[in-house]
Amino acid sequence: MKQERRGSWYLLTGVILGLVMGLVYSWVISPVRYVNAPPYALRQDYQDEYRALIAAAYLYKHDLARAQQRLANLKDDESAQAITMKAQQALAEGYPDDEVRALGILALALTQGLTPKVGDITSTAVSTPVPAFGDQTATPLFIEPSVSPTVTPTTEAAPLILNQTPQPSIASGPSSAVNSTPTQGAAFTLQERRLVCNPQQPEPLIQVQINDAEGQPVSGIEFLVRWEGGEDQFYTGLKPELGMGYGDFRMIPGGVYSITPVNGGQVIEGLKAAECTSEAGNVYWGSWLLSFEQP
Amino acid sequence: MSRWTKFLIAVLLGAAAGLFYGWVVNPVEYVDIAPSSLRVDYKTDYVLMVAEAYQADHNLGMAVRRLARLGNSAPTDIVANALSYALQHDYASQELSLLQSLGENLLTWDPNQEVPFP
Repeated sequence: MKQERRGSWYLLTGVILGLVMGLVYSWVISPVRYVNAPPYALRQDYQDEYRALIAAAYLYKHDLARAQQRLANLKDDESAQAITMKAQQALAEGYPDDEVRALGILALALTQGLTPKVGDITSTAVSTPVPAFGDQTATPLFIEPSVSPTVTPTTEAAPLILNQTPQPSIASGPSSAVNSTPTQGAAFTLQERRLVCNPQQPEPLIQVQINDAEGQPVSGIEFLVRWEGGEDQFYTGLKPELGMGYGDFRMIPGGVYSITPVNGGQVIEGLKAAECTSEAGNVYWGSWLLSFEQP
Repeated sequence: MSRWTKFLIAVLLGAAAGLFYGWVVNPVEYVDIAPSSLRVDYKTDYVLMVAEAYQADHNLGMAVRRLARLGNSAPTDIVANALSYALQHDYASQELSLLQSLGENLLTWDPNQEVPFP
């Protein structure tokens, strides 16, 4: 009897010992390795980089369908919204100009379905012939030591050209050299300046709504905001849910701000946070709504 | 059957159960993977995107930094692998040209002038 009880205990000990060994081996020593992962399994920051890369690649020939196909690999619920948010984040966090610009252009293309004139974009500037499929070798041609790297791309980055006129180029990014595309038509002028009291939006904002001469909202317009000791910029169209001609900037109470469209237009000065009072007597911040239009 | 044999059998059964649980029922999940773990076709498309972006911005340093996300291999090797895969899977000639061009231009890249990681 005593021997049998000991037997059952050591069997249980053996099972537990084996179980622990198995778990240690399967979780620590040789865990499941995901070597064939899809993009949607990427870490969040890598997913952001992936989106930025898709946007940068989109600038090559503005193939919206391909960009959408690539974005689909990330399995976002709303690809356009994800890119728009990423564009806003990149702008707010001071990402490189080119990245902000690329994300902004792709965001606008996704939300508006803008299609550039692809014919205006020079195709790839590669003069070296591609190895024929029949001549395939394990080592591609370009890493052969004898190959002189003399090929230099000759095309310039093709700016996005919109079909609509006089809608300006949306290829605008902070201080970017590619921003030189002038706004077509006359400069934007202020049509209306009014204080908007909205208890649902209690932050003191400078809100702009910008339309072209035909009354159509214009996205991608860069506004410069200045205050004592600083300046910043924002763009219209990065909050498509509020309209493609909409953009805003958050004021700090006490500061006095001026604002102007970077590509030309009226300078609006003396903007500062103003208070509103609700029916219940609660005080909250209002926002200045500035409506610009091309004459 | 001796007691040691039974003990070893118990250990093996336990180990089998542990392996089954660790590999099948509840394996280690990598939901936050790096681009270096992407499947080869996604990797190739990643390199192709880098090549397309390079054609647009002509920023070789940026291309190298992007390629560095795919692992510790030399940028030229990463592009070479992508090109090999693209050749084997009948990618469009324009895409092959882009990869080829990027690879050629990477040969001119001087790592002493660029910092691979920000």
